[in-house]
Amino acid sequence: MIDININGNIVSAKAGEMLIVVADRENISVPRFCYHKKLSVVSSCRICLVDVEGAIKPQPACSTPVVHGMKVQTQNVKTKNSQKSVMEFLLINHPLDCPICDQGGECELQDVAVKYGSDISSFSEGKRVVTDSDIGVLIQTDMTRCIHCTRCVRFGVEIAGIMEMGGTGRGENLKIEPFLEQGIQSELSGNMIDICPVGALTSKPFKYELRSWQMNSIPSIARHDLVGSNLLVQPYKGKVKRVVSADNDLVNEIWISDRDRFSYESLTHKNRLLKPQIKVQGRWNQVSWEVALDYAVKGLNSHILNHQKADQLGGLVSNTATMEEFYLFKKILTEVGCDNIDYRLNVKNLDNTIILDSNIKLDALEKIDYALIIGTNIRLEQPMINHRLRKATKKGADVDVLNVMVFDFNYSLHTENIIAPNKIAFILAGVLKSIMINNGQELPDYLIAINVDEMAKNIAYKVLNSDSSVIILGEHIINNVDASTIANLVTKIAQSTNSRTLNLSITANAIAANLVGCVPQNSGMNVNTMLASDMRGFILLDIYPQYNFHHLGAAIKAFEKDDTFVISLNSFKDDIVVGYSDVILPIASIYETSGTHLNINNDMQSYIAAVKAPNEVKPAWKVLKVMADLLELPGFNYEDSTQVLTEISYQSHVSHTHDINGNLASYHNGISVIWQNSPYSIDAVLRHSRTLQKTKIGQMNNAYMNQTSAKALKVSVGDKYLGVFVVITDAVADNCVFINTNQTINIQGQA
Amino acid sequence: MISIKARNQIDVWIAKYPKDRQSSAVMQALKIVQAENENILSASTIQEVADYLDMSGIAVQEVATFYENYNYKKVGKYVIRFCHNISCMLNGADDLIKHIENKLGVKTGEVTLDGLISVKKVECLGACVGAPMFQINEEYFENLTVDKIDKIVDNLK
Repeated sequence: MIDININGNIVSAKAGEMLIVVADRENISVPRFCYHKKLSVVSSCRICLVDVEGAIKPQPACSTPVVHGMKVQTQNVKTKNSQKSVMEFLLINHPLDCPICDQGGECELQDVAVKYGSDISSFSEGKRVVTDSDIGVLIQTDMTRCIHCTRCVRFGVEIAGIMEMGGTGRGENLKIEPFLEQGIQSELSGNMIDICPVGALTSKPFKYELRSWQMNSIPSIARHDLVGSNLLVQPYKGKVKRVVSADNDLVNEIWISDRDRFSYESLTHKNRLLKPQIKVQGRWNQVSWEVALDYAVKGLNSHILNHQKADQLGGLVSNTATMEEFYLFKKILTEVGCDNIDYRLNVKNLDNTIILDSNIKLDALEKIDYALIIGTNIRLEQPMINHRLRKATKKGADVDVLNVMVFDFNYSLHTENIIAPNKIAFILAGVLKSIMINNGQELPDYLIAINVDEMAKNIAYKVLNSDSSVIILGEHIINNVDASTIANLVTKIAQSTNSRTLNLSITANAIAANLVGCVPQNSGMNVNTMLASDMRGFILLDIYPQYNFHHLGAAIKAFEKDDTFVISLNSFKDDIVVGYSDVILPIASIYETSGTHLNINNDMQSYIAAVKAPNEVKPAWKVLKVMADLLELPGFNYEDSTQVLTEISYQSHVSHTHDINGNLASYHNGISVIWQNSPYSIDAVLRHSRTLQKTKIGQMNNAYMNQTSAKALKVSVGDKYLGVFVVITDAVADNCVFINTNQTINIQGQA
Repeated sequence: MISIKARNQIDVWIAKYPKDRQSSAVMQALKIVQAENENILSASTIQEVADYLDMSGIAVQEVATFYENYNYKKVGKYVIRFCHNISCMLNGADDLIKHIENKLGVKTGEVTLDGLISVKKVECLGACVGAPMFQINEEYFENLTVDKIDKIVDNLK
């Protein structure tokens, strides 16, 4: 540590740190445009010039390393004069259209102009005008306002991993623009809006909506992935107008995905359910909450509870609920004597599930030196986790991939292995065998006959020879014929090599669902057993079967049965839900309810409601509480959701390990279909987000297969397979159809 | 498509730089590709160069738009690149540029009707010692005067 003198005060610093970093830490304000703490330093804007004793000219604080005994003045006449000159220079071409600029009020240029600018400019020539190109539906450009700080260019290169913006032309003709008119494609593109210091890049859906000072900023948590990015939700008159990122270095740093940024638009979608409804003798009536809840409770009593048939009641919940909702949902069922509860709606076979710990924190993930990614398009499925991995690769980490299809990674891979779904377990068994042989361990029976090929050998070598490695298991494995074996092999490989594991086979708030035990209790039925059994009633929380269930046909059939009483809690109207429900209760959506998200770090991140739910819509936890009261169940005297959270016992997640059975020896033949909702269609909120649906990622809707599979399935380009357009490409492994779709599961053609 | 001949030429330049630094050859690659495409760079040829050198399209476009030796519009058989940077300017380049514009009946950036000659104003060509100067295709002409220009231009056929 060294001491330097800033404005007469001695502060300590690390030798070689940049002056601006020290100043920021000491809360000494230094203006900046091109400097950004998460981006590389270019020192091109020159607004951060400060007076360093001994230097004739003022020095840029962003690129001047500190040395012991350095004396710096950030407020003296020399500094102020240079800042004033730079401001005048920057304002030569910047339009003075602040009154109509969306950045007005939160503009770094405006702030600095007020503080350091002059009220007169000595420039009287014409200002330049830049014609705009349309860069997509999310970002509005007004490049005449651009001051060429190049933060957006560096963001593309350094953070998003694809260079999409660039500076073309020269001198006065320099222009920041994307290549051609292809627009911005990154899944993190919205962050350019946050980092643009002026009004050149602003939010398109928010265009001309409001001034920044008219809105509150309410801290909240994103709910579309396992990260739980920290957000600021900005409402005005009870409506969410904008969402921006909040800092949390342990979670999302300062970035958020476009999915988290723009999903708020769904809250005002015309499909919102606004009133409780009940179906009486086949006809739907809109009724008050009292009538609806009374009808629901009476229905439960008369169909099920009065007959002591609680074992024929089923509770199904989607992974989007809050931790409090999961808990209350389970508590009600337990109290009425029902153990049939599940959230794992998209799993084909619940005797063959992935049980795998996540035991590495997000900030540790960027310090690993090796990662093995299995079965995930991680960049689009978990953008912020992928961002951490990308940072690790920039520091030299190697990443190997075992996927069923070539995906677009934004970092270079050590090896990308595209293998058929039914071979993944065998490769991993080969990896484990190779490792055990290397460690001199005795081989268990099931590994003896396993063939260790070159791929397995290479992966084993990398895992063994890395100091800190992580094995990541993703969503494409959940319905693999060897799912549980794969998870067990991953666990064993990790144990024998001291690696970490990351379970990305679940998403949203599923970790919380697991923690509070939204899975069958005691002798309770799992979702698939429920669907196949003769049930008398269901309580469904935030469920839209055509997107949620693997066994969609069975689900709808089970719910539709005449004598089955179905209570649905939903936020959006849905014809299929209307078709089978007896009571539909409108519940609050994201940002309209308080709750807790449990992320992959095991952080319980609680949030409050940023806006009141519209019309007569109520938060689900309140609806569940009142239902419990009407059912005369004890122990539901909650006044707010934090009391629920306090009650949730912090039962540690039991990690199960079962022995690997011997079916590894036989190949499973045939073509596997991996059906996945596209990244912007994974929950009802996203499906109703107007602008996100118009992006390229929102439009993803294809069934990918290679020529051999297409021949075997007798389909060609232009045909539909399971209702989705066929794309024939060598990027897919043999014996595999990879479907990434924004549409509903086709009931007839279900896999 | 970049022709095999052009690829071979580009590969010579790539070989001059360390491994994985093939993007350093971007300026030469653009020059080679431009020469093959009637002296014009189109968006698709820029993309092809980007793909060949494993760069993003916009990164190549940044280079291609920065330097004056790349063309986006039709140019003449002879391209006169007239320097108008400080040394040439102080030695009367601006008047000479006006003269050549009047003589050919075109503005800078345009091409004569017969497609023979186009004129461009460019930044310093590193021949200040002979200012004012211009470059016609690969050749430099220095210490220009009105008479000298007339003679040079009249000889272009």
